[in-house]
Amino acid sequence: MTPDVKKIEKIIDRNRGDKTALIAVLQDIQREFNYIPPEAITATAGALDVPLSKVYSVATFYNAFSLKPRGKKVIRICQGTACHIKGADLIQEQIEKGLGLKPGETTKDMEYTLEVVNCVGVCAMAPAVLVNEKMHGNVRCEKALDLVKKD
Amino acid sequence: MRIDSFPKLVKWRKECGKEYTGRKRKVFVCLGEACLANGSQAVFDEFKKVLKKKKLADVPVEAAYKTGCHGFCSLGPLVILEPEGTFYTKVKPRDVEEIVEKTIVNGEHIDRLLYKDKETKERVPDHNHIPFYARQHRIALRNVGKIDPYRIEDYLAVGGYTAIAKALKDMTPQQVIDEVLKSGLRGRGGGGFSTGRKWATCAKVDDEPRYVICNGDEGDPGAFMDRTTMGSDPHSVLEGMMLCAYAVGSKQGYIYVREEYPLAVVTLQNAIDQARESGLLGENILGTDFSFDIKINRGGGAFVCGESSALMKSIAGEVGEPRAKYIRSVVKGLFDKPTVLNNVETFATVPQIIEHGSKWFAGIGTKKSTGTKVFSLAGKINNTGLVEVPMGITLKEIIYEIGGGIPKKRTFKAVQTGGPSGGCLPAEKLDLQVDFDTLTDAGSMMGSGGMIIMDDRTCMVEVARYFLNFLVMESCGKCVPCREGLYQLHKLCTKVCEGKGTMEDIDLMEKMSKTIQTASLCGLGQSGPNPLLSTLKYFRDEFVAHVKDKKCPGGVCRDLITFTITDECTGCMACVKACPVDAISGEKKKVHTIDQSLCTKCGSCFDVCNFDSVKIS
Amino acid sequence: MLLDVLRREGIDVPTLCDHPALEPNGACRLCMVEITKADWDGWKKSVTSCLYPVEDGLIVYTHSPEILEIRRNILDLYLARCPNSDLIQKMAEEHGVLKTSFETLPDGDNCIMCYACTRVCEVLGKCAISAVERGHKKVIASPMGDVPPDCIGCLSCAHICPTDVIPWQDKNGTRTIWNKSFELISCKKCGKKTITRDFADYLLSKRNIPANYFDICDDCKRKDLANKMGELVDGAQEVTL
Repeated sequence: MTPDVKKIEKIIDRNRGDKTALIAVLQDIQREFNYIPPEAITATAGALDVPLSKVYSVATFYNAFSLKPRGKKVIRICQGTACHIKGADLIQEQIEKGLGLKPGETTKDMEYTLEVVNCVGVCAMAPAVLVNEKMHGNVRCEKALDLVKKD
Repeated sequence: MRIDSFPKLVKWRKECGKEYTGRKRKVFVCLGEACLANGSQAVFDEFKKVLKKKKLADVPVEAAYKTGCHGFCSLGPLVILEPEGTFYTKVKPRDVEEIVEKTIVNGEHIDRLLYKDKETKERVPDHNHIPFYARQHRIALRNVGKIDPYRIEDYLAVGGYTAIAKALKDMTPQQVIDEVLKSGLRGRGGGGFSTGRKWATCAKVDDEPRYVICNGDEGDPGAFMDRTTMGSDPHSVLEGMMLCAYAVGSKQGYIYVREEYPLAVVTLQNAIDQARESGLLGENILGTDFSFDIKINRGGGAFVCGESSALMKSIAGEVGEPRAKYIRSVVKGLFDKPTVLNNVETFATVPQIIEHGSKWFAGIGTKKSTGTKVFSLAGKINNTGLVEVPMGITLKEIIYEIGGGIPKKRTFKAVQTGGPSGGCLPAEKLDLQVDFDTLTDAGSMMGSGGMIIMDDRTCMVEVARYFLNFLVMESCGKCVPCREGLYQLHKLCTKVCEGKGTMEDIDLMEKMSKTIQTASLCGLGQSGPNPLLSTLKYFRDEFVAHVKDKKCPGGVCRDLITFTITDECTGCMACVKACPVDAISGEKKKVHTIDQSLCTKCGSCFDVCNFDSVKIS
Repeated sequence: MLLDVLRREGIDVPTLCDHPALEPNGACRLCMVEITKADWDGWKKSVTSCLYPVEDGLIVYTHSPEILEIRRNILDLYLARCPNSDLIQKMAEEHGVLKTSFETLPDGDNCIMCYACTRVCEVLGKCAISAVERGHKKVIASPMGDVPPDCIGCLSCAHICPTDVIPWQDKNGTRTIWNKSFELISCKKCGKKTITRDFADYLLSKRNIPANYFDICDDCKRKDLANKMGELVDGAQEVTL
């Protein structure tokens, strides 16, 4: 599947020539495609007049960016301190086992992607799991997998 | 409507105030992140629906208002009914009709939804009498939970933009700086540097343009006060930045919001748009020579970007690698220009200092740490949420009186403050009066104010390992001590957790920690060993237990523990249901057993057992 | 910067990421020194001398026990990362670190992440390679692991690398580096291979030099010059005779 070049162009056009917009452009691209296609990296470098190597550095430095296509459901397990001491590891283990994924991986059918984040700021509801934009608090380890699959 | 003069602002505020206080009946539904996760949006929608259906004469449909976070997150979704202040907890959409009928129409309380005092077991009808709120002194959080964060009118109604008007009308930039300086305000983001001094230095630098940056990259895991402020009272942050810009002579501000806070970006952008529309941001604000605008930058998910020089690189669209700060960023910051960077809570506090004066602020808190501080309570504590208290309050008061103590009658073991840059303090430090300096002296740090409470089921070696792992993942990788040193510390600490560590490993960790502290390039590395060193200082016996006795006193490190069920088991099946790997067998009312070959030692059985029948050895 | 002054005074300060052609970046931390001033009441602070601006009245300790301990520990870490690097072994030995205290990295290569290669590439105006990922996973790589489109095969990165980890080869008139192949120019006189066509084109576009500048190799140019000089001298001798 090749990404829609026109869509990439449209996102980049808003910031043409503005080097400082690099991160914002990559964020917009990721929002559109759910990941950052290689074509977009090359196009961004050209349009913002930033060396290709620097765009690639930025795209790999920040956690928010994924250079691989992600699944329909992106599951993000919060590994903040509060979640950690309330058993986030166990939840992660259950979901890893249940979906056969390690963090950063996507199921073959492109249904699920598993990611780990360092605190989403709902520490009061620890442990927390995000399924796409939806937040789940006080997640029980034995129910984690069901919750993710149902959502 | 464009407000281009002081009289117009006064007039507008009056109108907003009239409308705000004139609402006879107010139903405030908390739409903070935690309450949203608990389904508060559905509760809000239900209120709208029911109120519309009922068509009450004196209660308009608009009586249901959105608010930001109220702070008492463990009890969400929260609903507050004004003017009585009736405080309902854990409200479900199905409760809404009853609330409207009983409380709104007939003025009766619904007991089961009221807060129940854990000590007295009594129901408390209004929030002012709940210890969690009663002990607080809210300055930075003054409007949080009281106003609709999406309405500039609400902010004006509660006195918003009074401080900037006062500064522009009656004060010189120098007077604003002096006032902040005299208030003793110290940066709420971490190190506690004097805000006034920072502004004064920047104002003196002979270079232009100058920039104002608000650090909303609340990266410390366990801290969520800045998220709440940005999401629940965004205009207070804008006003604080405006005051700073006026004081140091800046025309452009930036708010750097972390990637994980999408809701904060929405509320802030909405607030900026409203402020621009009404002329409170932009050219010639309130008809004066002062012009200032603000742009939001979203972070990319990198903890190191909370460090000021890395944050500035990130705003410039680069990799967030810090630089050596032998030349301060107030002199050479963003785009190599003089830059003031303060965090969200600091900016949200500033308008109150200008409005009420430095004397008022300096009168709160301790001599060297004035004012109040917001703490987020999380972990093994009954009342999780946000609290704002005067500096100098003891840890015990925060954890037990406000936080309601430790759940399940377990024992307090440690409180972690300051995130990955801070440390863990033990029970003997509970009488510590919390301020910037006492925490640092105790081997921890204020940081942004996150407090994670840990009970006796926490392994401190494992906590140290957790933070080292966090830092290894978040190190930018530029300098050797941080990149290689923390990596090696993590490996050594993991070895100890696995029962393979030696006493020499502990010595090596201590030795290397010191080098990392001195030799690292930025604050992340320099403070990186703190969680390890503080646990080694206060919980050394746990490290020794792992090394010498091959035991994990907290019952966490899997290589060193076994779970068994004793004969006291009542056969309630709770652990059987909770076990994620079906390792527990047994029938009702008969003693259960754990199949050790299947057991993953997750501890779920231990946590659900109400009869203390699961033992860790 | 302070390091320059120390070097000028002949004081030995070890470094790994410092290079005269590059801006300092403070990655290796070996040049740390302790500084104080008369009015600091004995308070000292450790700074990287490569980045610290020189000031009047600065008192600098370059070999205090604390500084030597830091250098030892840092070299200890380097030795765990690059156990096979001759340079690291030698420097560590000089500081009394004969063996690392840590487990060596399983997949460790000799890259010490000094960024000299990426910095020199940037100085040349190309930025063909960069540091990728972050933290302990950070490596120097080409964009997306592909053949770097901006590379001109100048070898600056390979030559500047203090631990010699960037492989390259010249074979049958072709140079290969970063998996990219380049045509090498042959000297029109002696046939020797000189620089890559891409590098020559880049230099021609950037500098005011004649278009045929790279046709003949430096050796032949020198020989030509010597011959010309010889002819002149011979001529002069004849005149005198």
